[in-house]
Amino acid sequence: MIAIYVCAGIAVYAALRVIFQRNTMRKLPFLNVVSFAVTGIIALLLPHPITIAAAAAYFVGSTLESNAIASTWAGGIKKDE
Amino acid sequence: MLDESFRILIAAVICWLNFMTVDLIFKLPESGGVCGATAIAQEVEKGGGNLNGGFMMGNIVSSPDASAGTLLASCGVFCAGLFGGLFAAVLVYIGNRICYDPGYAGTTGCITATLIVYGATQVGFAASDFIAGMVIAILTIQGISYVHASRLIARLWKVRCRLLRGCR
Amino acid sequence: MNEFVLVACTILVLIGTAAAMLERDPFNKLISLAVMISGIFPFIIDRGLLDVAIATALIAPLSTIFILMVCRRMPA
Repeated sequence: MIAIYVCAGIAVYAALRVIFQRNTMRKLPFLNVVSFAVTGIIALLLPHPITIAAAAAYFVGSTLESNAIASTWAGGIKKDE
Repeated sequence: MLDESFRILIAAVICWLNFMTVDLIFKLPESGGVCGATAIAQEVEKGGGNLNGGFMMGNIVSSPDASAGTLLASCGVFCAGLFGGLFAAVLVYIGNRICYDPGYAGTTGCITATLIVYGATQVGFAASDFIAGMVIAILTIQGISYVHASRLIARLWKVRCRLLRGCR
Repeated sequence: MNEFVLVACTILVLIGTAAAMLERDPFNKLISLAVMISGIFPFIIDRGLLDVAIATALIAPLSTIFILMVCRRMPA
């Protein structure tokens, strides 16, 4: 089953792109690719119904974290003066 | 039936079409849904990309949209069949609300992807092909070159605005 | 878990850790820590500890959000 090799390879490639990207905001799309790939690895390692919940919890948590980093970097919600 | 790498490439194209169509219908490139998405869009534009493409890439990063829905639907069908995919749709809906996103792009993308993946498993594909295919599809949008990807999204957004009305 | 996936996840952990040590900007450090945590997850799943995985997946981003609340971006 080569699907898991594809996901693992893309995860390593995207992690290297995260590290070598200088601009902080432009790192976040590559981090998103890492999350997608690791979610795929999680589902492919253990085909069990509860794995769907683990994969979804990991993905939503990682998305929430990226969103928090991006909005804190941008200064938070703009308050009307 | 077919060779596995060829099946994965076909699954990648199907996943790409699914999530792009649902995201364009739900107007993701129009504006940033949450404030993190706007920050990413501005940085993409400063680096030479297109602003609307940047909005869509920012929305993909900041909240579970149709791409996340397609991936979790494939994982759901792989682990537990059709009901696994529908369970994944419920989890994507909860994830959308946790991330302050009021839209339905993720849930809709998940349901359409569940039906597509389940149908494809009946004609010779394996659900694992769609998991790998979705990861390849998101790599082409977010993982190679944000400049070219944002310009491609902007061109597709113009086509969508001409076909369906309702965007600025 | 076959060796290729094992090596790939180990590389993710090591890359994330090394980058977290060498980066200066706090946001870049947090992003590198996220890469490191992503590498740890398949090991937890491979052992069958799905409940530990769900708990870690919910707690690790929350701790990042608390760190962000503590060190807000200073006005330039």
